[in-house]
Amino acid sequence: MESVSGRKSVLEVRGLMRRFGGLTAVDRFDVDVNEGEIVSLVGPNGAGKTTVFNLISGVLRPTAGSVRLLGRELVGLPAHRITHQGVARTFQNIRVFPQLTVRENILLGTHHWTRSGMLGSVTFWPSTLRAERAAQAEVHTAIDLFRERLEARLDDPAFSLSYANRRRTEMARALAARPKLLLLDEPAAGMNPYERIEVAGLIRSMRDRGLTIFLIEHHMPLVMEISDRVIVMDHGVKIAEGLPKEVHSNPRVVEAYLGRRAASA
Amino acid sequence: MSAQPAPLESVATVHPLKRLWESGPSGWNHALTRPVVLIPFFIFAALVPLGLQYVEDNSSWTDAQFWTLILANCAMYACLAVALNLVVGYAGLLNLGFIAFFGIGSYAYALVASDQLHQHYPLWTALLVVMAVTLAFALLVGVPALRLRGDYLAIVTLGFGLIMRDVILDLDRPPVLAGHQFGPDTLNLTGGTNGIHQVDPFNLPSSLPLIGPVPHFRMYYWIFIGFLALSVYCVLRWRNSRTGRAWVAIRDDELAARAMGVNTFKYRLLAFATSAVMAGVVGMIDAAFIFNAFPGNFDVQQTVTIFIMVILGGLGSIPGAILGAIAFTVPPFLLQQFVFYKYLVVSIVLIAVMVFRPEGLLGTVSIRPRKTMGGTLELLTAESAVEASELPAVTDTEVADLEAAAGAIVEDPEWKV
Repeated sequence: MESVSGRKSVLEVRGLMRRFGGLTAVDRFDVDVNEGEIVSLVGPNGAGKTTVFNLISGVLRPTAGSVRLLGRELVGLPAHRITHQGVARTFQNIRVFPQLTVRENILLGTHHWTRSGMLGSVTFWPSTLRAERAAQAEVHTAIDLFRERLEARLDDPAFSLSYANRRRTEMARALAARPKLLLLDEPAAGMNPYERIEVAGLIRSMRDRGLTIFLIEHHMPLVMEISDRVIVMDHGVKIAEGLPKEVHSNPRVVEAYLGRRAASA
Repeated sequence: MSAQPAPLESVATVHPLKRLWESGPSGWNHALTRPVVLIPFFIFAALVPLGLQYVEDNSSWTDAQFWTLILANCAMYACLAVALNLVVGYAGLLNLGFIAFFGIGSYAYALVASDQLHQHYPLWTALLVVMAVTLAFALLVGVPALRLRGDYLAIVTLGFGLIMRDVILDLDRPPVLAGHQFGPDTLNLTGGTNGIHQVDPFNLPSSLPLIGPVPHFRMYYWIFIGFLALSVYCVLRWRNSRTGRAWVAIRDDELAARAMGVNTFKYRLLAFATSAVMAGVVGMIDAAFIFNAFPGNFDVQQTVTIFIMVILGGLGSIPGAILGAIAFTVPPFLLQQFVFYKYLVVSIVLIAVMVFRPEGLLGTVSIRPRKTMGGTLELLTAESAVEASELPAVTDTEVADLEAAAGAIVEDPEWKV
């Protein structure tokens, strides 16, 4: 699983395993994501894709295995420490903060790399003011890709946004966290075809800005178009990995998606 | 991008006043928290007793003293409502033992400023002692209790409130634990049901330059108003800073907050302890104001009263908390001939507010779940209704999330740090 171009590995997952009672949701899962790559994780419903993301981002603890980000072990760190290490994520069922404005949502992304305390904000302490200014400036950088959609809505509460704009807000929030690795969980779910093409463009431009992206997506044409590599999971096990067109014609993948008869036909 | 752009959401330029009107009470809440509104409000509030005095001096009306006392009470409740709003409205922690911290503050001050232990600390030392004691109690309760969520936390804090009341009632004799008595037989810390009397008032000048002699009630009214102004300033600054955003984020969606790098336990504890210390200081001022610390001042009914103020005014709204405190303390005295119907009227008004405006008069958060508002559970159900065809069946992860949202203890790595 060495990268073809020999680029630096950002994420290194080895033997990742998670059981829920008798169910093994993720079974000895390995993956490498290299710097500047877009790697897609696909698979039928219930294959364990989101569980992999939850294990990487610390929402769940793995039963066994290791997750390394730029060589540092993440397993065992609480979720907020993992964000500090440089992992940001979006959620399958969008999780913006409904009562906060779009601006405040994005400012939450800057939470882990700014420092300001309660005394500082009451006394207008210079370092607190600097931190707040840096955070506000980051909002404008983070919405750069979504400017025409979000700029007019910056001071509206997030619950008033459309579905697609909530997704954009969530992505902008993750970008404001200045991640080294961005986990996108079904960024195009529930979007119309135009918006889906827009999402594809967005993910590419994020990569062009130097981000490393690991994403889960159901919409195969989108995956085929933007991914550098595709990993297919079924029943918690990785069943295929490779370039998009290799995976596409892999009989095990066809079987997982369409059943045995379709695969042999 | 080859995509055809979807029509942009247009923002019409409307007159700011019209926009304020249409944005509803949460928009008014925002407008009312501007310095241009708050500074005149506090100046006006500080001038009210002088106005009452002026009316008394120039007419046959003689109730200036009485009304100053009522307003001082009102200002005290406003301070408590603002502090409670911080922990319940912002951080979303249902702290039903809130009033215990008020009591702890009262007793801590009474112990260091009365003949009970023959201590008479100067004002600032006593203030530090009160803050340290309430903070210690807040940490003692908060560190274990804040690992619980929602209803579970409410029950634990309610228990704490009740226990504190009983402890204070029983500490007129030395505590006995497992047959071992702590302290001498004559030890009487809290005075039991009698409370502690003859607590020192603050050592303040009885007359001020320009204003002249200041009666006791008016002085404490000003102290309460001053503390209220300080609390409002601090709370508003926090709300618009990294700390306050983290609080509201935890209230809205704890899992997402953690995923953005918020140490949720730390911020919940910060909110809990800050609000407790604020309540403790209010308790200290109150003890000096009424010259005693009395167990009846902080029973469960007081907690309910302050909760009603905050919910009536609106969770998450500072002007709402002040409005709620005024609405709940002043009218009963205005309508004294109807005092018999007081609770009837209050109940009907409360029910009406909860039916027609569940987020309170100026609030931003509804205590009743709504599709467009509130936390994780509503968002999840709303999405799955729309996206049923696109979402996979609920996985164990989501079940875990749902449990977390519903308040159960779930696997949470941060507790093990």
